[in-house]
Amino acid sequence: MEFFNKLKEDFILCFVDDSRWKWLWDGLKNTMIITFFALLIGLVIGIVIATVRSTFDKNREEYKKKGGFFYFIWWIVNAICNIYLTVVRGTPVVVQLLICYFIVFASSRNGVAVAIFAFGINSGAYVAEIIRGGIMSIDNGQFEAGRSLGYNYVQTMIYIIIPQVFKAILPTLCNEFIVLIKETSVAGYVGVMDLTKAGDRIRGVTFKAFLPLIAVALIYLVVVIILTRLVNVLERRLRKNER
Amino acid sequence: MNGNTNDVIIETHDLKKHYKGSTIKALNGVSLKIHRGEVVVIVGPSGSGKSTFLRSLNLLEMPTSGSIVFNGVDITDKKVNINRHRQKMGMVFQHFNLFPHMTVLKNLTSAPMKLLKLSKAEAEERAMQLLARVGLADRADSYPSTLSGGQKQRIAIARALAMNPEVMLFDEPTSALDPEMVGEVLDLMKELAAEGMTMVVVTHEMGFAREVADRIVFMSDGVVGADATPDEFFNNTENPRLRQFLDKIL
Repeated sequence: MEFFNKLKEDFILCFVDDSRWKWLWDGLKNTMIITFFALLIGLVIGIVIATVRSTFDKNREEYKKKGGFFYFIWWIVNAICNIYLTVVRGTPVVVQLLICYFIVFASSRNGVAVAIFAFGINSGAYVAEIIRGGIMSIDNGQFEAGRSLGYNYVQTMIYIIIPQVFKAILPTLCNEFIVLIKETSVAGYVGVMDLTKAGDRIRGVTFKAFLPLIAVALIYLVVVIILTRLVNVLERRLRKNER
Repeated sequence: MNGNTNDVIIETHDLKKHYKGSTIKALNGVSLKIHRGEVVVIVGPSGSGKSTFLRSLNLLEMPTSGSIVFNGVDITDKKVNINRHRQKMGMVFQHFNLFPHMTVLKNLTSAPMKLLKLSKAEAEERAMQLLARVGLADRADSYPSTLSGGQKQRIAIARALAMNPEVMLFDEPTSALDPEMVGEVLDLMKELAAEGMTMVVVTHEMGFAREVADRIVFMSDGVVGADATPDEFFNNTENPRLRQFLDKIL
């Protein structure tokens, strides 16, 4: 009995007093905002890079034949993309976040915006590889069928390949979104009041660790479970269609 | 097709293709003329270069050297817009390569609408005529994955015909089919031939070659080993490589 009374007391202290539950709510909002816009940036970067890399891969011989400057430009752009992928995937996201906040945008104190930028750049690299994997997974016969009808390379991509790629990678992209939600928990490093930081702040003020941190974990878990369910439904829909 | 039947539609000259890092020449100097309205069947052992040759006719394979003159234009010239010429060369693949994300009707209307700028109604009318002709009008709204192999290949032929091509290229169109479905595809090809379509067919179906071909071209080791009418071809006793091939296959 005493245990439950104590728990109730702690609960009131942690979440009810000063409306501290609102901190968690605001934190969750920030977490979702950062994740959502970071993924948007990631998608744009990912599409551009995947397009460059797979176009170069598929047409390398043809471009080499055209030769000279044209080939050189493609080679350079492709190399830049590869460097970006290597650097972003080869360094911890926290370090990237800190570099963005304290070096690249040293004059800005808008933590959320910087976090969106940093996580966007980071997830762009992963999204690029998801999309490229999707393009590579499409049977080469589809390219040939498109080209043999008279579509040029870009038209073949737009009308034949991309729609199939999109269907193939949609579930993986949604999973990237779910992973990103958890990754943004380090946003507190640059003073952003995200869900994790909010829980930690409650711990700091109340000197109670158990309830706030478990609450934060539960909120992440519930959000992830809900989204995973949605992705599963989506996946089943996509599979049912056209088969 | 209109015009003189002796009129040459495709002429290749000394076509060569070698793949990087390989000493084998897939094509080692192929010169061939294909006339308008003619059915040319290309046969030969596997690895003889017959598919490579067919696929270079619309530049799906880029030849290393030599020229391909289609309707008087050398399409291997870098300045030529190959996409325009490909619209006039229908191609049918061994593995059909239908677009799985489109209905059968969409498979037939997409290219004519995007490339020939037909209206939706015109494209659909033409598509339905073609579907009726290949006997699959009732499958217009199905997706390719619900069709049998023979049906897929008939749709693939209809898709190529929807662009109103001047020549049809067939790359082993029946090789991926179950035996009981080969007939329906060959029958359709015979009808096409009877209507005067110019056809270049790579196949192992010797019965089809004997019955439908105007000329049979035998390829081995990247060169043309024989080029003859079916009668001459099957009674050829002079060419040892051809003899050997025919003994094995007949």
